[in-house]
Amino acid sequence: MRRAFSRRKALPILAFTFATALWGGSAALWAAGENTQPDLLSLGGSVTEIVYALGQQHRLVARDTTSVFPPEAADLPDVGYLRALSAEGVLSVSPALIISEEGAGPPETIELLQTASVPFVTVPETYTAQGVVDKILAVGKALDVEPKAQELAHNVGRKLDAAQHAATQSGIPKRVLFILSTNGGRILASGTGTAADGIIKMAGAVNALVEFEGYKPVTDEAVSAAAPDVILMMDRRGDHATSNEELLALPAITTTPAAKSQSVVRMDGLYLLGFGPRTAQAVTDLNTALYGG
Amino acid sequence: MLTARNISVTLGHAQVLAHVDFTARAGQLTAIVGPNGSGKTTLLRALTGDVDYSGTVLLNGTDTQGQRPWQLAAQRAVLPQATTMAFPFTVIEVVRIGLTNGTAATHDSRAMQALRRVGLAHYANRFYQELSGGEQQRVQLARVLCQVWAPVEDGAPRWLLLDEPVASLDIGHQLEVMEIARGFARSGGGVVAVMHDLNLTALYADEVAMLAGGRLLAHGTPADVLTDATLSDAYGCALRVNTAPQAGHTFILPHAANLMTENWSAS
Amino acid sequence: MTAISDLDTPRDRLHAARAAHLWLALLLVVVSLASLAWGASGTSLWAALAKLARGEPLTQLEAVILWDIRAPRLALGICVGASLAVSGAVMQGLFRNPLADPGLVGVSAGAGLGAIIAIVLGAALPVWLVEITGNALVPVAAFMGGWASTMVLYRVATRGGRTSVATMLLAGIALGALAGAVSGVLVYIADDSQLRDLTFWGLGSLAGATWAKTLVAAPLIALSLGAAMTLGDGLNGLAMGEATAHHIGIPVQRMKNIAILTVAGATGAAVAVSGGIGFIGIVVPHLLRLATGPDHRTLLINSALLGASLLLVADVISRTIIAPAELPIGIVTAVLGAPVFLWILLRRRTMMEL
Repeated sequence: MRRAFSRRKALPILAFTFATALWGGSAALWAAGENTQPDLLSLGGSVTEIVYALGQQHRLVARDTTSVFPPEAADLPDVGYLRALSAEGVLSVSPALIISEEGAGPPETIELLQTASVPFVTVPETYTAQGVVDKILAVGKALDVEPKAQELAHNVGRKLDAAQHAATQSGIPKRVLFILSTNGGRILASGTGTAADGIIKMAGAVNALVEFEGYKPVTDEAVSAAAPDVILMMDRRGDHATSNEELLALPAITTTPAAKSQSVVRMDGLYLLGFGPRTAQAVTDLNTALYGG
Repeated sequence: MLTARNISVTLGHAQVLAHVDFTARAGQLTAIVGPNGSGKTTLLRALTGDVDYSGTVLLNGTDTQGQRPWQLAAQRAVLPQATTMAFPFTVIEVVRIGLTNGTAATHDSRAMQALRRVGLAHYANRFYQELSGGEQQRVQLARVLCQVWAPVEDGAPRWLLLDEPVASLDIGHQLEVMEIARGFARSGGGVVAVMHDLNLTALYADEVAMLAGGRLLAHGTPADVLTDATLSDAYGCALRVNTAPQAGHTFILPHAANLMTENWSAS
Repeated sequence: MTAISDLDTPRDRLHAARAAHLWLALLLVVVSLASLAWGASGTSLWAALAKLARGEPLTQLEAVILWDIRAPRLALGICVGASLAVSGAVMQGLFRNPLADPGLVGVSAGAGLGAIIAIVLGAALPVWLVEITGNALVPVAAFMGGWASTMVLYRVATRGGRTSVATMLLAGIALGALAGAVSGVLVYIADDSQLRDLTFWGLGSLAGATWAKTLVAAPLIALSLGAAMTLGDGLNGLAMGEATAHHIGIPVQRMKNIAILTVAGATGAAVAVSGGIGFIGIVVPHLLRLATGPDHRTLLINSALLGASLLLVADVISRTIIAPAELPIGIVTAVLGAPVFLWILLRRRTMMEL
């Protein structure tokens, strides 16, 4: 799964956004002004978002491929995909601290980083509101900005609670099927225990497929039996994106209530599934998309 | 001496050879003849150990079964009917493969000598695959000669086993190759050749073994074996030896060729 | 190719091929130094050597990058490159086909299946087993899978002490299909992150090189390649077919045993530690055959040297071209190898018939 990201989504979340807009590609200048060398490597889109949300972006020296928000992050050197890191590539940006989402690898690289005595902090990942709060606190602790982190965690937690509470008022929960991809008509959908499952629940809906864990290819009959009211997908750009017409014309889907009501919701992958500071807004957006304003 | 006793070969469910006795002497060229499917190539393959057989094959008095491939290779070389090469080897490289084993391994110049002997020295750097079938066969003969260069080594004769060595050659080269084979025998080596051409057999063989239907029909000198009765019996049609066709018909016999021959000389 | 005028001194490709040992060894030394000197980080081999010469200690970062990252990667790169190229040359000789590769004896399919089993079912293994094998689980499973499938094929193709190369080829296709089907089932039950691990394993990389891996793989590969080097005369003879090889004194069956065991050992170990790296096994022997002829006595040694050099070059590219990120080496060898291969085919079209 590639976490795509859409610049079209305006995200007026936090006050620091204005500052980061000025920041642009001049990380070195900014850092020079602070008189410290940037030495933080952030691995994972949500971790990078939290670093920005904590106003610590001046400490970033590099990021991984999945770190594409805010847009300025893309200007940082990219050390590659979170799960296939190169030890020398990571060391070449001379990080004094690495903060990572779960699942960084391969294990050999992580071992070598330990050999090189680079502090490596893995933040816990659970797909709940508390998970987001814990993540923010963990990143804040690693960055030694705990007061700020507590403030942010409090804010985010409050917004998440509000968004979730609002979502529960939506009436009869809709059944949502999250589809990761439809390569060759084969539907790869989300079961339980995934970020998609988490956000669907938080948005006041139910996951239509609970018979298995993780993302799996599902048969046409299973999709029909799941009878989703809405189909949720990531918003992908490029040639691989399936149009709504193509999607709803798939044999598995034509029989579903979602096809009858033409209900397809697409959202940016990192925004929807990142479980970071923007997740409260994502919950509200998804809830609105599912139940209308 | 190359002796085969009571050789039987079964391929699948068909018995191809039944209780064949065969003897070839060093210093002689022994031909194996017979119609298609008579088992002559199978007999040669039993002599070389390429098919499973019952019976005994003694090469210079020792059973060939139980001898290691390199021990056999030092005593006898085998020329197949045709040989395709898998990679773009040049002619000289093919001939050098004959030097892999045996006592000639140290004599690299021997490859060129052997190539000269078969009249293909000027092709040394050509790719083997670019040659015609007949030329390829002569290159293989040069390789085989490299393997058993001296017809006699340490008092023991060495052997050339040839499977239809002249089948794909023109008459000039047929005679040239048969001269080489006879020269090897005259110098004390042993030659066993599966032959298709009865005229060449009559001209060059010292001994002839005639097979038909997987059995040995006759064994002896060409004069003894190549008779009207035996030939007619073996080939299933009325044949007459030493009878010129009626006037007006053209016939070409290798016997009449005026060939410049050199004596075999083992260097 | 025209006939030469001087009949007594045929142009000697064997001589050129022997001279190539030296040149290719020199190339390998140069490429090895480059591999130690170049990387994503600015760490300089020369500066480090100068420091050592002056008796100064290296910084921890220099020591880790040079000794723990680049050096094992260099060692493993040499092992893997040589294994792939020599195994390719041996398989092509054994099957008498310039397009044969170790995949034909089921090593790749088996190793791939082993790796998939380890990645997908690894989580379900008892804890003590996971603790013992640790990070070695996937490579060990890949090696065992490759070895096991080769042995199965070998058994199937051997009747009465004779191994039929043709049967082996056909059985290999069947076994490959079976391994593919089982892999498919496992892919079906794999979760998202396991699928990504599988994809990256399939693309191949030397990124996971460690001294521990190298010390396990290197002796096995060295032993296999050492045994493979004895096959030169045998493979030359086999170029004329099994019967003729036997006639010139080659112990054909023993040779086939050695060839298959060495390929299973070397390729199995190489695939296990580096994943699937394509094209080296076909391009390297082919280039060398064009340059210095098909004589296996020199081809095998030259394949080892050139294969190691090419893989190191590909690895240097893979870790510097998008630094600090890294491109899987399988992509680099394919991108480099495929056009070279096509160019060879177009330029020497007639040679393919040979």
